[in-house]
Amino acid sequence: MIDKNTKVITQGITGKAGLFHTEQCLAYGTQMVGGVTPGKGGEEVIQLPVFDTVREAREATGADASMIFVPAPFAKEAILEAEEAGISLIVCITEGIPVKDMLEVSQVMKGSSSRLIGPNCPGIIVPDACKIGIMPGYIHTKGRVGVVSRSGTLTYEAVWQTTELGLGQSLCVGIGGDPLNGTHFVDMLEYFEKDPETEAVLLIGEIGGEAEEQAAEYIQREMKTPVAAFIAGQTAPKGRRMGHAGAIISGGKGAASDKIEALRAAGVEVAMTPAKMGEAVQTVLKS
Amino acid sequence: MHLHEYQAKEWLKRYGVPITHQEVISSKEEIPAFLEKWEFYPAVVKVQVHAGGRGKAGGVKLCQNKEELREALEKLHGMKVSTHQTAGGFMVAHQLLVTKGVEIEKEFYFAAVLDRASATMMLIASSEGGMEIEEIAEKSPEKIVKVPIQMDGTVRGYHVIEVCKTLGLSFARGSEAPKLIRAVAKAFAESDASLLEINPLVLTKDEKLIALDAKMTIDANALFRQVDLADCYDPTQELESEVRARKADLAYVAMEGNIGCMVNGAGLAMATMDMIKHSGGEPANFLDVGGSADVEKVTEGFKIILSDPNVRGVLVNIFGGIMNCETIAKGIIQATKEIDLHVPMVIRLEGTNVDVGRQLLKESNLPFAVAKSLSEAAEKISEAIT
Repeated sequence: MIDKNTKVITQGITGKAGLFHTEQCLAYGTQMVGGVTPGKGGEEVIQLPVFDTVREAREATGADASMIFVPAPFAKEAILEAEEAGISLIVCITEGIPVKDMLEVSQVMKGSSSRLIGPNCPGIIVPDACKIGIMPGYIHTKGRVGVVSRSGTLTYEAVWQTTELGLGQSLCVGIGGDPLNGTHFVDMLEYFEKDPETEAVLLIGEIGGEAEEQAAEYIQREMKTPVAAFIAGQTAPKGRRMGHAGAIISGGKGAASDKIEALRAAGVEVAMTPAKMGEAVQTVLKS
Repeated sequence: MHLHEYQAKEWLKRYGVPITHQEVISSKEEIPAFLEKWEFYPAVVKVQVHAGGRGKAGGVKLCQNKEELREALEKLHGMKVSTHQTAGGFMVAHQLLVTKGVEIEKEFYFAAVLDRASATMMLIASSEGGMEIEEIAEKSPEKIVKVPIQMDGTVRGYHVIEVCKTLGLSFARGSEAPKLIRAVAKAFAESDASLLEINPLVLTKDEKLIALDAKMTIDANALFRQVDLADCYDPTQELESEVRARKADLAYVAMEGNIGCMVNGAGLAMATMDMIKHSGGEPANFLDVGGSADVEKVTEGFKIILSDPNVRGVLVNIFGGIMNCETIAKGIIQATKEIDLHVPMVIRLEGTNVDVGRQLLKESNLPFAVAKSLSEAAEKISEAIT
């Protein structure tokens, strides 16, 4: 999906967060090749060229991926612009995009050959090769576990546990905490199943929606790679939004217990506490 | 953001959805003058609170005459409404809705939702009204119809027919049902709503379709462009602590336990609550202090947590990422000095620059314990309060 040859631009590169994280990604070894801020084309920041549009940036730099920090009211256009310019991997970090905007984005992405990760996510990383996102690079080590999660810091916690246990990670993706997102658990499971580097998968879900149930169905039907999981929000009250826009038990759907049950029935090793996420992957790797 | 019933109905009316004549009473002083001019009997009085199950809680009264109406208004205004949706607490009815009663021939369920799995807006309708949709789905799923709403807020003709047939209503040109279906879809799509529920939608004895109740939730992330709806925000329907957290840009949800927690990141915050429960405690709240976790936010977070009289201990769980543990430790130390920490507190720090962070916490000589792992932190705080 990404490697050390992936060329990345930042949309919103002149903003505080965009600039800071572009520097952090560069320091990790990611090939950052430029950025986009409308009206600032022709300028340079941290020795990277800035363009007015994604199309211009792509033509000049040959970028294959984009990392988006554009503020929520304008993020829909930023994603659509990247898609139209032919960027194959679009990673949207922005939090707080209206659901209706994501509805429109989802319709476009359905018929597109580009992949959107996020929004409202930490991004994607292949340890020692490429980091596109806001996760702290040093907690990762190259290794055997594919991590996919709806969360940010909880993912870091999981990554850290697998690093401490000496398992390492093949690829980590935060798919985001919004009700509608570009990449789903099933997309990533499909990828991990084919990926020779990934020996086990750690899936981190949470309350709200039915993505974990769909993942369970896919695991049962298609996967040989062992899967471990943790579901956050076992103590969350019904009908309340728990920080993430997508983390809400509503209409009798989305409770942690249903998700845990579905995953267990599909043969997944479910950790009962967040302290046991690393151990759960270790267990499935041994068996 | 939830709307009150009367606000949702006013919004629907703008789109041509028929509602009964309604007026809102906001203070007891308005009651005498209102009674003088109100002339529709029977009248229905309903408490305006952000919770379902108002009828069962005694918050809805049918009044046949002026005297009954006076009694109902005086009794219901300021009522503390506690239903299955108020989590053991109550909501105060600062406003009352008075509507003209109608003679009902038949009740339907009608709603528009955002369907996450298919990433589409959907209309849901059922010939079984007055029940919760979950109940209908369980008892008679064949009586529910779901059709998509297009991105521009229109509904395709054959979908309109499908809905009308399920409800047993005429879809002939000029009849009421197709107009109502299209109006609800448009009202939903143009308001950035995540839920619009009309339950019941009724057919009156004189064959009119009326939205008798309405519930509407607006996507909080879209309020910047829904200016009229943003004005409907009613802070009296939220706990004081939640209003305060909203102002400080903290994601906070009050709960009924006794261990307060402050965490960075929503997923980790939920996981920390689960961990507390697993160690034998009960979480008092959800609080995501956010990625920056600066001194002001941490201080306000502590104050909000400690304002809950049930809180007997606090657990802080921070995974330092880009914001490193040294900065966070300094923030926590500063915040602890500014608050009146009257309960035990356990702090668990992990991540970037953690050794310096832990050292700073230890050397501060402030009255909190430092834990190395998440399980140790949860055990320590559970022990500390027993």
